[in-house]
Amino acid sequence: MKRSNLFWMVGLFFMFGLFLTGCGDDDSASGDGEVTLDFWVFGATNYEDLAKEYEEENPGVKIKVRTAETEEHHNGLFTALSAGSGAPDIAMLEVDQLDRFKDAQDRFANLYDLGAEDVQGKYLDWKWKIGENSDGDFLFGLPTDIGPKAMFYRIDVFEEAGLPTEPTEVEELIQSKEDFMQVGKQIKENTGKPMVDSMEMAYRAIIDGAEQSFFNQEGDLLIENEGNSVKQAYDLAVEMHEQGLVGEYTMWTPEWGNAVNNGDFAVEMGAAWLKGWMMGNAPDAAGKFRVATLPAEFAGNWGGSYISIPDETDHPEEAYAFVEWLVSPESQLKSFQSEAGLFPSSPEVYEMEDFQNTTDEFFGGQSTAQYFAKATEDISFIYKGPDYVSVHNEVLNALENVQQGADAEEEWDAAVERIKGVINR
Amino acid sequence: MTTASIQMIRKEGEKLTTQGKGKYRSEQTKDKISAYLYISPFFIIFAIIGLYPAAFSLYLAFQKWNGLGEMTFVGLQNFSVVLNDPLFWKSVYNTIIIGLMGTAPQIIIGIILAFILNQAFLKFKNTFRAMIFMPYITSMVAVALVFGVFFSNNDTALANYMLNLFGMDSMNWKTHEWGAKIAISVMVFWRWIGYNTIIYLAGLQSIPKDLYEAARIDGANIVQQLRFITIPLLKPFIILTVFFSTVGALQLFTEPTVFLGASAFSRTEAMTVVMYLYRDAFSLQSFGTGSATAIILLVIIIIFSALNTFLTSGIGKKRKEYKA
Amino acid sequence: MKETVKKRFSIGKILMYTFLIIASFISIFPFYWMFVMATRPSAAYNSIPPTMTPGDRLVENFLAVLDKIPFFGAMWNTLVLCAVVTLVVLFISSLAGFAFAKFKFPGKNILFISILLTMIIPPQLGLIPQYYLVAKFGLLDTLFGAMIIFFLNPLGIFLMRQYIGQSVSDELVEAAKLDGCSNFRIFRSIVLPIILPAFATLGIIVFTATWGEFLWQFTVLRDPESYTIQVALSSLNTTNNVDFGMMLSGVFWATIPLVVVFLMFNKLFISSITEGSIK
Repeated sequence: MKRSNLFWMVGLFFMFGLFLTGCGDDDSASGDGEVTLDFWVFGATNYEDLAKEYEEENPGVKIKVRTAETEEHHNGLFTALSAGSGAPDIAMLEVDQLDRFKDAQDRFANLYDLGAEDVQGKYLDWKWKIGENSDGDFLFGLPTDIGPKAMFYRIDVFEEAGLPTEPTEVEELIQSKEDFMQVGKQIKENTGKPMVDSMEMAYRAIIDGAEQSFFNQEGDLLIENEGNSVKQAYDLAVEMHEQGLVGEYTMWTPEWGNAVNNGDFAVEMGAAWLKGWMMGNAPDAAGKFRVATLPAEFAGNWGGSYISIPDETDHPEEAYAFVEWLVSPESQLKSFQSEAGLFPSSPEVYEMEDFQNTTDEFFGGQSTAQYFAKATEDISFIYKGPDYVSVHNEVLNALENVQQGADAEEEWDAAVERIKGVINR
Repeated sequence: MTTASIQMIRKEGEKLTTQGKGKYRSEQTKDKISAYLYISPFFIIFAIIGLYPAAFSLYLAFQKWNGLGEMTFVGLQNFSVVLNDPLFWKSVYNTIIIGLMGTAPQIIIGIILAFILNQAFLKFKNTFRAMIFMPYITSMVAVALVFGVFFSNNDTALANYMLNLFGMDSMNWKTHEWGAKIAISVMVFWRWIGYNTIIYLAGLQSIPKDLYEAARIDGANIVQQLRFITIPLLKPFIILTVFFSTVGALQLFTEPTVFLGASAFSRTEAMTVVMYLYRDAFSLQSFGTGSATAIILLVIIIIFSALNTFLTSGIGKKRKEYKA
Repeated sequence: MKETVKKRFSIGKILMYTFLIIASFISIFPFYWMFVMATRPSAAYNSIPPTMTPGDRLVENFLAVLDKIPFFGAMWNTLVLCAVVTLVVLFISSLAGFAFAKFKFPGKNILFISILLTMIIPPQLGLIPQYYLVAKFGLLDTLFGAMIIFFLNPLGIFLMRQYIGQSVSDELVEAAKLDGCSNFRIFRSIVLPIILPAFATLGIIVFTATWGEFLWQFTVLRDPESYTIQVALSSLNTTNNVDFGMMLSGVFWATIPLVVVFLMFNKLFISSITEGSIK
């Protein structure tokens, strides 16, 4: 009897008590004149530290940072925007994902209305333009970091292959796609190790620098056109694979991490942020990597983000003030110097003494920043389109299958068919 | 609070009616009211959070919608897109194969395990039961992480190490057509076997012990006991687990998604129907085709559960006739 | 085991023990392995032959976890969430199970089947409309918002119907009615005490299933203070981190409390199954 009474009461208590107390929990409405801003970020950033710094300088503003994994972050944001409530005051958007959010122009604040024009001059042109709508009168986000690519190479592998190891010598040695292949063959012959880690890396060599890839701005599919850049990139990856220059270390897997750590392949054509990852995750590789400029055909941008303000926010001005501060050249320098190693999108930073003097113990004391800064000069406006991530994955699939022994042309045709299926929805 | 107050009112009313004549009749009405009242919490909560999503999905199946912009009515086009997509049929195939490999052995091995665990002579009963049930209490994230490493693509993975010990070649568990299916089936099997065993065990214990006693006196061996007593009497529980396994297998989503990680929605080796519809909605932003897939899946689930339930009850019947 | 040896010793028994021991080993091994990995650095993953013994980084790996996520806060949130869901499901299921087992009323079978049919709606598609509802009720970032969809548990009603049908005899219910007990009184005073052990079974099933849920909680809980452990753990698994030792340490320590709770209730859990038959 007593037991069941207790059970009954507890049951009722939770059923109804929670219905009552659960409601009306709206944390952005704080009564005491303090503004709380929800800020969603993904991946590795130093934004939590910067937010604390901002809170100290601006009493009355509180910033709640939530960090998530890239995919989860964007899907969560998408769900919130789609339902029309629950989006944060400020959200980070990755460049590949950005275009799919551009359909929802009415769910974002136009940063031009909040004064973004005043800071436009501080940022790289191409980077800024990607953050706009196609008419150029609506700005979705302010630029954070970019991912200019350079060549990370293992000096021990180069040495073993009888190649020079100094950055200037390596740049002289590898000035074109053909040189790159030649060096790859020499490394393969002398050390047995592949030139690059994965098919994706090989494919990205060209696609990351292409001004147009799958779609043009009118939304037409380009991959069946003669000599389109996706096919070029695909063919290069296949060619490298056929010559045995591609390893089987899929990025972000533990096997891959291990291979980077041990030097099981020679070269990463990585973006600036890869440096931060290596320092944190490949301790044994300290001192064994150097950075050099890639041949012009392989120059490109890989990744980078924007900070946007969803329209739902009750505090657009406060949010904008924080965002402008967060991506200012001074803050970008801090983000660059932090563990996250976010590469600045403001060329003003490249002129700063602190930036130029940064040396990396991990890269044997080399000052790597200048190589990436130099790489930004070869990058131009890139159009991706709303379906980019999905169609990109289809090509990676095809390449993976080729590596497993499938016929390259058949796989290409199958990928084209799958891509058509994807965009016809 | 409402339930309680209605209860009070009913108590009062009950006092009045018991004094009256038509006691039997009022008793029946009273029972009906109580019954509806008692099942109402489920239906109320379902009406709040279950019905609206279901109706919304039904509506979306006839619309083209990217989740953000305007909806446009497209009639049955979503269904034809899905039904004409080879990848959809691949996902149906994958789901059935993984479902069969992951759940069918569970029924057989689950019954055997439950049968053993129910033996009177068995020592350390509780310990064995606890161990067999343990996998069920691990979270999916944990299972997927551990199995993700166990079945990773390189030679040092435990699974490949074992293959190599037996002189076989290493396998790319996450990208190989059968490798991925096998790895996921093993995960499903490992995680749910204990759960099914416990349900069978509950069923076994409702079988009177003297039945076995009598069979033993008649000289029936263990296999005969299993066949002529255990399985027929376990029938309702087998039907139950078959139903749940069928529904669960056709809705398989978390296991493959977490196991495959980043490549979950781009590779096709282990893409299940629910993954296919999730990919439509959240990666391809096509909520119309996603919803259409859900409705097609619903039909598939109804057909399969009906079929499986029918088949399972058929087996039991034959046994009974045979016995008689 | 010695006393059973004599005549009762048979090949059948040896086979059964062997089968059981192998099955138990397979069940337990991944737990052990999780522990091994939680005590070693990442590199241990790639050694040949595979690492099988614990290392010395048990504390170190866990400290790294604590550094990254609010582990204990998230554990507490999860505990509250799972406890409430379990209680509510037990409450709803036992009441409904009682009604379905012991009452006659029009539409009984159709209603029961329709409860089972609610299971076959794929939950993933309901994500956006359900999220929309929860957001409209102002329940984002609240544990209540994170738990509400788990209140619907058709399996619970099914199991309770079976159990009450079996273990509460019709005569008992009838006798109570003749004594003038109200239906609710019967439920409270007669049915509940009898089915309490079955609560352990259903309770463990519901509790652990809720514990492992991720997608919905991730979507609804955005504020780190409201994170449940699965959401918190997932933030360890970012592309920028391949410290698997640390990650599995988080997973391991998040699993331990569950194992402890299970072992605590194991006796009750098993007896719920056994007692159901002893009548």
